[in-house]
Amino acid sequence: MSLLSKKDPQTAVQTAPRRTVIPRYDVSETADAFTITAWLPGVERSAIETTVDGEVLTVSGRRAWAVPESWTPVYREIPQADFRLALGLDHRVNREAIGAAYSQGVLTLTVPKAEAVKPRRIEIKG
Amino acid sequence: MKLIRYQNSPLYQPADSFIGLRDEMDRLFDVAFPTFSSLQRDGGFFGDWQGEFPIDLYQDKEAYVVRAELPGFRKEDLSVEVADGILTVTGHQKTETGKKEKDANGATQERRVSRSITLPEHVSAEKIQAAYENGVLTVTLPKLEEVKPKQIAIEVK
Repeated sequence: MSLLSKKDPQTAVQTAPRRTVIPRYDVSETADAFTITAWLPGVERSAIETTVDGEVLTVSGRRAWAVPESWTPVYREIPQADFRLALGLDHRVNREAIGAAYSQGVLTLTVPKAEAVKPRRIEIKG
Repeated sequence: MKLIRYQNSPLYQPADSFIGLRDEMDRLFDVAFPTFSSLQRDGGFFGDWQGEFPIDLYQDKEAYVVRAELPGFRKEDLSVEVADGILTVTGHQKTETGKKEKDANGATQERRVSRSITLPEHVSAEKIQAAYENGVLTVTLPKLEEVKPKQIAIEVK
């Protein structure tokens, strides 16, 4: 009991973290970049957050749409969880130049390859 | 005595009889274990859809509303049709001619998905509206004014 009463009010009230699911995604590769496509239907552009923290690329998308009060659900299949995708990045990518585009529920990330791994032709001198 | 049209769910897929069988089994379980079925059927956490894309159906006083998750289509690639009381939503993504987009296997990319829903009977088919935003298609199906009994005059000769 004494422990409880000593708790900092800031930490005492904790809201449960919203549950997340991994969105459907795909990774493809060209000579100089990787392309990551993630399906985030129902997520507003502004509710998508893409972050790179060290070796991890994280995409999160929050479903802001809520059922209007006057509507009664008859049948539901659409998952109600938010989206979260975490992918590891290794030495092959250029972290500084990741590009993102969003259109109709599809997020496309372009992750350029690092110069060091691009094919190089070495001239023979002399 | 009242005759009610046999319809186990507002949604059904006539093309897939196996899913029909699954629905039958679900219905049997719904009766036997109502608590489980309500957990399972409310969209749940991961969602458990029976077609190619998940849909929700809602109703209010004025209308039924169908929401379908169809990410990555252009507006012109989606079609909404109503025929014989069945709403069909189709998405057909074609490769742009001239651009020749090819995936890693060298195949041209084409995506076609479709789903049919039996409409509740009292829907005004002419006033159906559809909107597409953030990869979600919303179809609004206004309910019909209550069908009033019609007086038919009998001609006496």
